[in-house]
Amino acid sequence: MAVACAVVPEDSDAVLAAALARDLDRSFELLVIAYRVRIVTFVARMLRDDARAEDVAQDVFVRAYRALQAYPSERRAALRLRSWLYTIARNLTRNAFRDAPPASESLDYDDGNPRSALLDPDPSPENVVLREETWNSVGAAVDRLSPALRDAFVLRYFDELSYDEIAESLDQPVGTVKASAHRGLMAVRAHLEKNDE
Amino acid sequence: MSESNLREFGSATRRSVAPDFTAKIFSRCGLDRYTVAQSALGDVYVAWTENGVSALRLAQDEHAFEVWYGERFGRRCVWAVEDDPSSSAARAKLRGENVTVPLDLSDCSPFEQRVLEHAAKIRRGHARPYGWLAREVGTPEATRAVGNALGHNPVPLLIPCHRVIRTDNSVGGYVFGSDMKRTLLEEEGVDFAALERVTRRGFRYVGSGDGTFCLPTCGSVAKHVDEPGYVGLRSLEDAHNHGLVPCTSCRPIAA
Repeated sequence: MAVACAVVPEDSDAVLAAALARDLDRSFELLVIAYRVRIVTFVARMLRDDARAEDVAQDVFVRAYRALQAYPSERRAALRLRSWLYTIARNLTRNAFRDAPPASESLDYDDGNPRSALLDPDPSPENVVLREETWNSVGAAVDRLSPALRDAFVLRYFDELSYDEIAESLDQPVGTVKASAHRGLMAVRAHLEKNDE
Repeated sequence: MSESNLREFGSATRRSVAPDFTAKIFSRCGLDRYTVAQSALGDVYVAWTENGVSALRLAQDEHAFEVWYGERFGRRCVWAVEDDPSSSAARAKLRGENVTVPLDLSDCSPFEQRVLEHAAKIRRGHARPYGWLAREVGTPEATRAVGNALGHNPVPLLIPCHRVIRTDNSVGGYVFGSDMKRTLLEEEGVDFAALERVTRRGFRYVGSGDGTFCLPTCGSVAKHVDEPGYVGLRSLEDAHNHGLVPCTSCRPIAA
């Protein structure tokens, strides 16, 4: 049994933030329901490991809860929940990489960045087979992006965050994330064209 | 590959989450959740943790339930937006379906847990004396302690502690009152009028034509005591004289 994907209208975030500010414990489940599929998916795309993604995603919500507990209610009410949660998700995904260091790998990514510079585990043969079954060529193309581009690309084109939200999540200037998302898009297109030949 | 194709791909390849995803998060945040379910007692509050259903209670209102829960378990319990596998199973069980409900009895002592596990095996339409349960648990002298353990049952109905009654077949105490206990047992088919008649005539067991003898609370034997093929028995000696062996379901004497 799997839980269906919830649709989150953007303006519902303000309502949710207000509810969290009023009564965190009673409103927290709404936050989990609204974002669990997005966060699990985001972590899975970054980590490229569906089995670990769920654990890391749980950590994201526990971390969020503890932070919200510590915030005064005005700060909770003013939170931009979406970018805030993605920030936590991205940080914890990075930590997960650090905890399970990748095997060294000489291959470069499609966008020209060296693989060795990344904290990204080399997928096991089983994972590769699994992924080939479930991910189509787009998934493969996204996998070939370096994390710097993949962050911005996935947040922009899959999670549909605004550039402002992405900039906030990644703690980078808006111009930088725009450029990264665009370079990611170009690299994905190039990869697909190469495959079509 | 257009941007809208990518968005389509993005939503088409979203992951699903395991059914216990939310429960695990709440557990780590130190929060339990509860809902209201329909039962033989009317609407009851049902709370659960990551491990299973932790409490079932009648309460005045949500606030009263939350206060009671906090005092008993030392944890905050909040209204659940969604059901979990545990609460769904409890709902089904309270509707009368034959399902296994995961339970969290971590608030009970090992002795209490043992008593409750044995009480859970008493079937609908049956009842057993406190002393019987004490013997089954392996502490035949501890009848009072068994009564206390049942009184501490955090999940009445889900563990049918109401099916344990006094040795004289009177109803005994219950967390929701003796009247409620009697009503529940009667709805399940226990015939108190028949039990009272048997007790008044000094019958401790009822023998039947299949060569066994039972406690009067084993199913509906009390009702049949005067019918052909049945016999009221005042003592074990009586049973032996009739050449009867103990019923393997109600185990009227120690094995």
